[in-house]
Amino acid sequence: MILDPTNENYDKIGRAELALYEVIDPELMVNIVDLGLVYDVDIKEGNKIKVTMTLTSPHCPMGDAIQTGVINVLEKEFPDHEIEIDLTFEPAWNYDMVSSEGMQQLNNR
Amino acid sequence: MAKISIGKAPGNSAILPFYATGAIMFFVLCVLMIFSPESFTQHYFTPHLLTMVHVAALGWGTMIIFGAAHQLLPVICEQDLYSERLASFVWYTLTAGMILLTSNFWNLTVGWLMIAGGSLIVISASLYLFNVLKTTHVCDRYSIQKLFITSSAVWLLFTVTVGLLLAINLKFPFFKQSHLEILKLHAHAGFAGWFLQLITGVSTKLVPMFLLGKSNKDFLLKWAFAFQNLGLILFLIDGYFIGVTARVIIYAAIVLIGVIFWLLYLYDTFKNRLRKRIELLMKHAFLSFLALVISILLIPAVYFSNGYRWATLYGTLLFMGWITSIILGKTFKTLPFIIWNDHYKNFSGKVKVPLPKDLYSEKLTIWQFWTFIAAFLVFALGIILQQVIIIRIGAVLWAVVAVLYNINVFKLLLHKRKKIS
Repeated sequence: MILDPTNENYDKIGRAELALYEVIDPELMVNIVDLGLVYDVDIKEGNKIKVTMTLTSPHCPMGDAIQTGVINVLEKEFPDHEIEIDLTFEPAWNYDMVSSEGMQQLNNR
Repeated sequence: MAKISIGKAPGNSAILPFYATGAIMFFVLCVLMIFSPESFTQHYFTPHLLTMVHVAALGWGTMIIFGAAHQLLPVICEQDLYSERLASFVWYTLTAGMILLTSNFWNLTVGWLMIAGGSLIVISASLYLFNVLKTTHVCDRYSIQKLFITSSAVWLLFTVTVGLLLAINLKFPFFKQSHLEILKLHAHAGFAGWFLQLITGVSTKLVPMFLLGKSNKDFLLKWAFAFQNLGLILFLIDGYFIGVTARVIIYAAIVLIGVIFWLLYLYDTFKNRLRKRIELLMKHAFLSFLALVISILLIPAVYFSNGYRWATLYGTLLFMGWITSIILGKTFKTLPFIIWNDHYKNFSGKVKVPLPKDLYSEKLTIWQFWTFIAAFLVFALGIILQQVIIIRIGAVLWAVVAVLYNINVFKLLLHKRKKIS
């Protein structure tokens, strides 16, 4: 996920991304941003936050918990916003999407 | 909300009673071993050994596998379980059947109660197969894991049906062949059909998930499937129509090739993994595979030697080495997540919640691991030396393993949600 400084919602998207670092995959014990599960964060119609994300596999047993975590952290950060998750498996998540920080965390677990 | 359904985990009643009963029956098995160590120095067709083998196969192995399969089928098939109610119902029939059968084996009380127990187990296997077929039927994508799981469920039904016929044969003899010869076919349909193919299918999905590993060599699994089934089918046909002869070694070699293809796939996944640190629970899986390979290599000794020590060691390697080790490890890679989902899923990201690994004692799993190795070695030594006292010491160590395992399982099952701050 790349932040565009020219985007009018740059600050909001930055705050949202920071909040998403708090969502941890309970099995891998690494946050979902460093795992590369978050594809995009967009602000629509002023008060709607749309997160495009994936899971390590469809029907991941922790998938429900991870999505609930995304909604919870964003509702906490933006109480007056509506949160929408666009779950996609295209492109399917793969190991190359893990950040170097995520890699380091995985090796320490 | 999400546009793609990621499905629901089945309700706890389809999973947790199986784990609880399996854990208790593992302890019961170890206690029986303490009280009947001489059974491991005699012919394998003795009432006490028959009881212990069926407690191990049905009360321990199959019980835990049913619980885990109800949780994992949706993950593997990417579909919800067809019927949670059916899955929950199977616990009653399997538990009642297993208790009736094993309690009647203890004094070899042949008759309608034993047959009723066997019938209940056949009903359980039929319902499980129906649930598996209906769940995998709607799978969008072809997956080799789906094939292994379906095939293992078919083999389970075959195994328990032959088992029921054997129970009937004890009361109303009708088999033209020797009861003991059919017993060998029954046992190996269970080992190489039910347990081997189930473990192959599930492990090739779970191990890559746990290690974050990948393999592009799916062809290895196709060969594994072909060889495991070919060896077993040839053994059964030859054994039934001609009798178990030295050709059994050829069939064992064919199954071993199938096992090696499967292990090569897992090794490829292991080499290409992101998680470099190997957890203790994954080491259990390694010991399990080692026990399986040694047991197959032991088959010529079982066939050609006199006495019962190698046959008993063979069965011990399979039940207490291979199946027990994989369950001891995998329980804590599945059960904590089921319990965590139930208690903390909705609080994730809202407040600080414990992680699944915090819900059980990791320290006890370390003790469990080392005691398991000690128990296995002492017990195997006792069997090789045919020394009842050493076998009994080994059985006491097994009971310690079972106690450690039960403490952790019930710590999870009885977990109360911590006060959320």
